[in-house]
Amino acid sequence: MRKTIKAAALLGVAALTLAACSSGGGGGASSPSASGGSTAPSPTSTEPITLTMHWWGDQEAPGAKKWLDAAITAYQTAHPNITIKETLETTDGLIPNFEAAAAAKTPLDIQYFWGGIYAQQPHWAGNTAAISDFLPADELAHYTNAQMEDSYQGKIVSAPWYVNPSFPVLVNKDLLSKNGLTVPTTWTDFLKTCDTLSAKGIPTIAGGVKDGWFGGWLYSILGAQSVTSQKQVLDAVVGNAKFTDPALGDWWTRLEESQKHKCWNSDINSQELYQAQQMFVDQKAAMTVTAGPDAPNFATKAGGPDKIEVMAMPAWSNGPLAGKIASSSQTLGIPSWSEHKAEAADFIKFLHSADQLQAWYDITGSLPADDRFDLTQVTDPIKKSLFAGGTDNVPYMENFIPAQLDSDAVFKNVQLVLKGSETGAAAAADMQAQMERLRTTDRELVTNFTNWASGQ
Amino acid sequence: MAKVTSPMGRVGSFSRYVLLVACTLGALLPGYIMLTGAFKTQSEFLSSPWSLPANPTFKAFGESWSAGLPSWFVNTILVTAGAVVGVMVLSALAGWGFAYWQFKGRETLLGIIVSLMVVPPVVLLIPLFQFGAQLGWISTFRILILIYIGLMLPFSIYLLANFFSAIPHSLLEAAQIDGASTGAIFRRIVLPLSGPPIATLAVVNILWAWNELLLALVFLQDPEKHTLMVGIAGFRGRYSLDIPTVMAGLTLVTLPLVIAYLVGQRFFIQGLTAGGIKGE
Amino acid sequence: MTDATMTTTRGPAPSGGRRSSRRPGPWHAALWIAPAAIAIVFVFAYAIYQLVVQSFKYKGAWTGWDNFRIVLTDPLFLTALKHNMELLLCVPVLIAIALLLAIVLSETIRGHTFFRGVLFFPYILPVTVVGVVLGQLLTLNGPVNTALNGVGLGKLAADWLGDPNIALWTMGAVIVWKEVGFGIVLFLARILSLPTETYEAAALDGAGFWRKHWSITLPQMTGVIAFYAVTEAIVMVSWVFNYVYIMTNGQGGPGDSTVVTELYIYRMAFQNQQIELAAAAAVILFLITLLLVVIFFRLQRKSLLAVVGE
Repeated sequence: MRKTIKAAALLGVAALTLAACSSGGGGGASSPSASGGSTAPSPTSTEPITLTMHWWGDQEAPGAKKWLDAAITAYQTAHPNITIKETLETTDGLIPNFEAAAAAKTPLDIQYFWGGIYAQQPHWAGNTAAISDFLPADELAHYTNAQMEDSYQGKIVSAPWYVNPSFPVLVNKDLLSKNGLTVPTTWTDFLKTCDTLSAKGIPTIAGGVKDGWFGGWLYSILGAQSVTSQKQVLDAVVGNAKFTDPALGDWWTRLEESQKHKCWNSDINSQELYQAQQMFVDQKAAMTVTAGPDAPNFATKAGGPDKIEVMAMPAWSNGPLAGKIASSSQTLGIPSWSEHKAEAADFIKFLHSADQLQAWYDITGSLPADDRFDLTQVTDPIKKSLFAGGTDNVPYMENFIPAQLDSDAVFKNVQLVLKGSETGAAAAADMQAQMERLRTTDRELVTNFTNWASGQ
Repeated sequence: MAKVTSPMGRVGSFSRYVLLVACTLGALLPGYIMLTGAFKTQSEFLSSPWSLPANPTFKAFGESWSAGLPSWFVNTILVTAGAVVGVMVLSALAGWGFAYWQFKGRETLLGIIVSLMVVPPVVLLIPLFQFGAQLGWISTFRILILIYIGLMLPFSIYLLANFFSAIPHSLLEAAQIDGASTGAIFRRIVLPLSGPPIATLAVVNILWAWNELLLALVFLQDPEKHTLMVGIAGFRGRYSLDIPTVMAGLTLVTLPLVIAYLVGQRFFIQGLTAGGIKGE
Repeated sequence: MTDATMTTTRGPAPSGGRRSSRRPGPWHAALWIAPAAIAIVFVFAYAIYQLVVQSFKYKGAWTGWDNFRIVLTDPLFLTALKHNMELLLCVPVLIAIALLLAIVLSETIRGHTFFRGVLFFPYILPVTVVGVVLGQLLTLNGPVNTALNGVGLGKLAADWLGDPNIALWTMGAVIVWKEVGFGIVLFLARILSLPTETYEAAALDGAGFWRKHWSITLPQMTGVIAFYAVTEAIVMVSWVFNYVYIMTNGQGGPGDSTVVTELYIYRMAFQNQQIELAAAAAVILFLITLLLVVIFFRLQRKSLLAVVGE
């Protein structure tokens, strides 16, 4: 009997020792070590190196994978000692998988981030090294939106890859004219269009908010219209302004109006984003919103330039950003625990070489994030209007709020408002309440955003 | 009054069958939609989800098969096999330990182990993930197998301890008199008698490991390591415009379970109801 | 085969000192138990210890009750808890349906095994499969609503998973669909083990279906019903992640209408990088489960051993 107790006691000790050992190991995901600067040998080194790259983007820029595979082959031919292993992530998996990789410090050298906050947050958490530590300023100066979206305390945290004109509205002119309508450019016209089409059982604009993301798009194309600059939004995040202020909160009421006027497909809450866009292709809805890089393909699928027009969301405000397509760059960053940071940066730079920029455009038909790309070759009217939006430095507002505010307040309230179970005013109030809540739950949010805002 | 019971009984019997048939249909209809949907085209699925496929096509099966199913199958089999073999061995040993000896605190210890069955995995997820991360074991099967073993052990020990305790005393005494060691008694007498409960337990554990999503989702980050459940969970997002492919994938995932259930229904029912809280 | 198993589960409770002497001392038991014990200690004891420690820290530094204060005042967490509590209302529904079907099955001779097999079938399916298929069935323009419209019940059609007022109940219904087979089989086993004499006497008295089962069957089933109730209560509180994750794309939407505690913990830990808050929330969930465990454990002696026979 005594021996049993002893055995049990021994087990207990073993457990405690285990616990002590691992807590000494430094809390995993919670406290990743700061970036260690460049410890890697120079890119000219000849020892065999494997670069691991996790990315996303084929979903919104079809052809990206084909291009990347070719670029990797080309780079490997030029650098025989380097092997690049790439993994295409899912939309839902992109962020969680990076978090997990950061916690586990699994080999990872190049990681895809959406621009703005999605590139900033991993850097604040110490999970990415600044790309400006590895690439010269005169190189990065060419990268579209690097300064606007990805700068933090004088550094560029992630390297723009391709531009996402965010977000174009596609209009089926044919469908409108068949119903005696013209393309609406003002909010009033838009609502009138909705009235006319909904009376005939046609959704004016197709969307799907079940998986949330589209809510963030709507925030950017409606919510940004009355804002003067991204600084105003960052101020609301840290508490110097409120999301219920007219400039920041009125768009919710516009969203409510669009619901009241039956602008959307009735099943918007049980559709995923990509599912709903298909309605537009099938000529079942007059308008839809797509990712910028994807827009030309959508336009082609839905009938080509004769039928389809690309434009900004109809304007409801006189704000400087209203009626414009915003620009955001999707980026590639370097994880802080990568052992081959210099090589990774060199590969990123390679992707910005003239040949690769051209190949990107040729294969995907979308805009590379580099001002050295020759825009004059673009003649297609749809691409022209898209790329004009992509290069005029209008901030894409979803990228300047905390990602958690996006999902906990924007995604959520867009679903509720579009379902008709919440008013716009209540949504604005909830967004403000969620922001106040996040300032409590995220104990470093205010500091980080204050630092970010100070550079804007 | 008593005279009317007979016609009422007939009516009652009829309404009982109506109820049972209705519930049967309710239980099978989603499976019907899944199976028939797998043979349809997207437009046919959307326009007439309930009808039989007009022109059955295997295209969706090919599509889902080439989307990664084979490697998910292999991974699931590896994880399930590793975890179930491990848990069977450990729980048989421990079950015998609990069944053969009386020691102080035995009841309490068994009670604690039994109650661990209800601890939700999400509670254990964070520390175990950090543990795995520190060892660099994320996206390895060994960490997942280890955790599965731990999670399946309480129920398995409970079930086997119960069974072993019920083995007739006389059998064991005879062997003791012959001078057989404890290990020999276990090997030569207890195990040969324990075929059915071990099979039942194996079925329950295989089912649990096969169906597990949360831990596999978190621990197997590398797409090459994905199990069926993780793969299928991401499948729907990827093929939201091609429901038949999703349905075909689900059909292929469910097929082994259906076959196993048709063959060994008794084991499923015995095992799962013995556990009560297992089966998620 | 069946007989052996029956003995298993019906066998005498492992208690009493009927074997004690004439064998190696009890410390030998420790040798047999140790390998399993190590695994259990690692997965449960070590993990829970770590979890508790972490729930009192922030970025490695001790912060007392801060994390708990933040979590307990976080409206989203309270909403999540509330949803789990609301799902508990599915438990009586489960019991009622399972009881009715078990009783009906027990009086059905023809097709008995077939019906039982079919009704139990959803219980063995992976939640992933159930969630995707039923999620598809329940979209606004999906098969369920198509069928309702087709048979003239269009008024009953609803945006099952898209309407924040009913999404949680849809979720509950899906859980009921999957879990009810377990109750049916459990109750059926108990009913079939009841002595038949009382029923014969009742039949002579002319007792009808409802009276017979209300006064004879039910009173003898309290143990197994309690067991099932607690089991399903635990499911509703801490095993619904898979349903929500699959059917709402990991969002808990629309709005936060289907956010449950597990999803809150998962998202705090793996999406919002608030590991410490996730840990505190997990500790709270653990304590709630512990409460259920105590109830479970008290019932377990009485009922578990009595009902496990098939």
